[in-house]
Amino acid sequence: MTDAITDDIDELIPASHISLSEPPAQKEATIESLLDLVVESGRVDDRQAALDALLAREEETTTGVGMGIGIPHAKTEAVDRPSLAFARSEAGVDFGSMDDEPATLIFLILVPKEGGEDHLQILSSLSRALMHDDVRERLHEAGDESDVQDTLREAIS
Amino acid sequence: MSDERIVEIVPEAGLHARPAALFVETVTDHEADVEAGPPGSDLVPARSMIAVTSLGVGQGDELRLVADGPDAESVLAELERILTTPEDELEA
Repeated sequence: MTDAITDDIDELIPASHISLSEPPAQKEATIESLLDLVVESGRVDDRQAALDALLAREEETTTGVGMGIGIPHAKTEAVDRPSLAFARSEAGVDFGSMDDEPATLIFLILVPKEGGEDHLQILSSLSRALMHDDVRERLHEAGDESDVQDTLREAIS
Repeated sequence: MSDERIVEIVPEAGLHARPAALFVETVTDHEADVEAGPPGSDLVPARSMIAVTSLGVGQGDELRLVADGPDAESVLAELERILTTPEDELEA
């Protein structure tokens, strides 16, 4: 991908948006913990508005897309630039996926409301990357935040 | 039995969220292998939500559907209905 969004992985997902420790066991709590990574980096004006948008999207239908992946996402005025956060789980978080696989790799996407196609584009690029067994394996094995960023940089194309 | 068609996407959100969930559920409820992709490009398995999400199909885009199996014709008819119905008129 040669657009501004995926050209700069460090801008989209700075190291502080990556958590390698076990997230909460419940889906909503995991979504909140990922949101808090983005809140703590100062990118979210209104945490509650962002959370409401994320949970409204989950209510419509789960973002558990199968293969052990959850991608909660929302378009919201609470952010002014596209942001991604990542957590992984050994135990797995029940995202209610159609294939019944608990999510072990979880990405949160927040995109500004007026972001147009950015939203679909990040979602599709990320999904395309995560369909590859070796990409998922590298994310599970990543020893630190920069391993995660490197994997995404190489895989999102 | 094999069948295919090309459909233009009507829901505002594209093949995403509820239309995408209905799309995948419809495929898994029928006896047919279904693949989907932009006309002229590689196809992906339509029973996989991550594969369908990876297509990034937006409103107004064309999607090629190829079905093979006893329910090929009926699954394509149902998928076309989902893809050509505005989201607020779509019944679960």
